[in-house]
Amino acid sequence: MEKSQSTGQVIVVTSGKGGVGKTTTVANLSTALARMGYKVAVMDLDIGLKKLDLILGLENRVIYDIVQVIEGECSLKQALVKDKRFPGLSMLPAAQTRNKDDITPEQVQKVCDDLKQEFDYVFIDCPAGIEQGFKNAIAAADKAIVVTNPEVSAVRDADRIIGMLESAQYKDINLLINRVQNDMVKSGNMMSIEDLTEHLCINLLGIVPEDKNVIVSTNKGEPIILNQRSQAAQAFNNIAQRISGEDVPFLPLDDNSFWSKLIGLGRSLLPAR
Amino acid sequence: MLTFLKNMFKQEDHSSRRQANERLRVVLAHDRAGTSSQLMETIQEEIIQVIAKHIEIAGKPEVNFIREGRHSALDISIPIKGR
Repeated sequence: MEKSQSTGQVIVVTSGKGGVGKTTTVANLSTALARMGYKVAVMDLDIGLKKLDLILGLENRVIYDIVQVIEGECSLKQALVKDKRFPGLSMLPAAQTRNKDDITPEQVQKVCDDLKQEFDYVFIDCPAGIEQGFKNAIAAADKAIVVTNPEVSAVRDADRIIGMLESAQYKDINLLINRVQNDMVKSGNMMSIEDLTEHLCINLLGIVPEDKNVIVSTNKGEPIILNQRSQAAQAFNNIAQRISGEDVPFLPLDDNSFWSKLIGLGRSLLPAR
Repeated sequence: MLTFLKNMFKQEDHSSRRQANERLRVVLAHDRAGTSSQLMETIQEEIIQVIAKHIEIAGKPEVNFIREGRHSALDISIPIKGR
């Protein structure tokens, strides 16, 4: 199956705060779209602190990096690492021994323009923070995915990032809420999806539940979307379908513990206060 | 018995979720406006002083952030003493 759009779409995945799941999101959405038959490129812009190669399990196949492409030491084609498991997927690695000031937004834009010619989707893995690395990452994208967790510091950073994307004239800003624990939401100890969309006021693209399988997959260097039993995998597959333009309903966030069912039953039987 | 059961199953009013939402509401309003709670207090005091120069104020004025989407407004309510 080979699907192609007229022009490739460039999507930046960003968050402000580190550790909320940007790289995991990029790895899983890109592999899910590649599995659906699209041609997908992923670009790691966390120069100096690269992670995407490791999360995708491609760390042993890296030869050149994006800084070498920009400085003309190799061609873009030479630097792209093809994923043998997903024929449509290619990764442009970050440089580990350089830093974020070694490239400019204009140079990133040039690389993206070249990638757009050949790929349906180009994902940019943005570094944490709001400095040069962030500015490089948002220079070339048409669409932004802001990843956050239901946690005050992550939401505050997401809000700041959304403000900066709006200032940069972004019109297509989408929210991905990662690591939701519905049992904690129900017991009143975690902000809900509604709470976060009320605070941040942007389009909700997806909800990914907390899932221990993510760490297992990361250990192995395999994308989680291949794990049939994982809730996070299903969520990422659904988000990939939404990106491709399909209308997929949000997964019901169920927690199946005995106690939460009992408490739910108790609440439903009692008259409202 | 019913009260006991209600207490057992009721949503915790002082839940950490509610506290998170309240704290975020304030901090995001300040972040977006580029202000601090200290500055808001100063503004509040100065506005009240101006009003008090001309009209007698009854009770304590209230200052709130109102939010509509990603935009905030400052809402100051000053009770005025009737005759």
